[in-house]
Amino acid sequence: MNIVGYRQVRALAGLSVLELYRRKDLIVVFLLCAIILLPLMLFSPFGVSGASRYVDELALLLVWVFSLVIGLGVSARLFPPEFENRTIYPMLSKPVGRGTLLAGKYMGALAASVSALVVFYLAYALLIGMRQGVWFPGILLQAFVLHVGFLVVVTALGLAGSLVMTPSANLTLCALTLLGMLFYGQRLPELAASQQPFGRCMLLALYAVGPHVEFFDLRQRVVHEWPAIGWDVCLAVMVYAVGYAAVCLMLAALAFRKKKF
Amino acid sequence: MDVVKLDGVTKAFGSVHAVDGLTLTIRQGEILGFLGTNGAGKTTTIKMLLGFFRPDAGSLSVFGADPCEPDARRKIGYMPEMAYYYPYLNVRELLSLYGGLCGMEKSEIRTRSEALIARVGLEDAGARLLKHYSKGMLQRAGIAQALLHDPDLLILDEPFTGLDPLARIQLRDLILEMKSRGKTIFFSSHELSEAELICDRVAILKQGSLVWSGTVGDVAGDGERNLERIFLKMLGHASDAPAVAAESGVRS
Repeated sequence: MNIVGYRQVRALAGLSVLELYRRKDLIVVFLLCAIILLPLMLFSPFGVSGASRYVDELALLLVWVFSLVIGLGVSARLFPPEFENRTIYPMLSKPVGRGTLLAGKYMGALAASVSALVVFYLAYALLIGMRQGVWFPGILLQAFVLHVGFLVVVTALGLAGSLVMTPSANLTLCALTLLGMLFYGQRLPELAASQQPFGRCMLLALYAVGPHVEFFDLRQRVVHEWPAIGWDVCLAVMVYAVGYAAVCLMLAALAFRKKKF
Repeated sequence: MDVVKLDGVTKAFGSVHAVDGLTLTIRQGEILGFLGTNGAGKTTTIKMLLGFFRPDAGSLSVFGADPCEPDARRKIGYMPEMAYYYPYLNVRELLSLYGGLCGMEKSEIRTRSEALIARVGLEDAGARLLKHYSKGMLQRAGIAQALLHDPDLLILDEPFTGLDPLARIQLRDLILEMKSRGKTIFFSSHELSEAELICDRVAILKQGSLVWSGTVGDVAGDGERNLERIFLKMLGHASDAPAVAAESGVRS
């Protein structure tokens, strides 16, 4: 990418980040997170140290839910207001290719979501550290890195969906797919084995094309203080995230190129 | 030199022919008013000139290049009919965004932005978020973004809509100033009086076809400027349309 392309992507990405923080949605999410997390993290339930793990698990689940809400919310809202408010016209009239426009918007959604994630993880690490005296263990760092991978997929999926579906349909379908895969993704082959041939094919097809967001989930390892996984495994999962996002963005580029304004 | 060339351009949306065999040229340094009723095909023509989509038939070029290529748009400034610019940005941030999209350097954006904000009369509202702007103020912000990279061709879609009398005069002056600097201006409008005042040439579009094209001087009869009369006649709202058409060298 040349210097002009870099400036164009930076300008577009900056717009998404600025809008996210100006809109104050994020402030509400941060406040909600603090209100829920603080009381949970500062007390030791029933005086039993083991029980605090359930609290940690709940806190991490909330971080996942909030990050999904922000990631999807930001990416699904990138293009529809541009079409609705007609700001897409002056944007497209500038010497910028549609591919660059898409890349800039995507980078903006990712940057905005990751910036929120940093706040969530810092808050979590701070509260855990205060209670246990262990500051940002290695497994938490890996959990954060893979969580970024999760957002790489979520934002690409949300962005692609926003170009072919209405905002509400996009949000609903993406949220159902992502949550479904997060909680049941790894059980799909097992479930498929017990089905009739047609159902088996459908489930296996879903397993093949669905976003395997369960790969990014290290909550259990963090909560139970298991040892860190190998960085090569992390790298492989991140490669999967980038590959999956690239496919989504290619499909989005195809839809965007064909879109008539 | 012809800045814009349209040759037999046709664009249909389903069974509706939005633009039908349009042939038109715009020369460097002239102001061309593109007139027509709602749905005449003005905005569709402008969108093709900006490369938003290609014509179904015919050819068009801007500065000799295909406007669908991003680089060909480097010399074009465009203001859409009515855009509700990003409500959570102020006008400086808006211009910074568009300057970035033009590939301009930060310092250049800052200098140009300040000059343009003052030029369009938004210096007192520079720090205010655009969601607090009136329709006319948004239109001014739109003009500023169109001029930011100092384009050689300015395409304005209904630029006078929503402007108060003072802002109209300012915009008119701005357009004439651009012309005096050798820039080419192409604008669509319903405002016949404005077109009559500033245009070198006028083109009237009816149901996607060019029905009249000529200089404002052609329009004037006995020292009287009567574009409105011509416009109505060309659209078939007066009985002596053919006679006027013949006098003025009509293409139909």
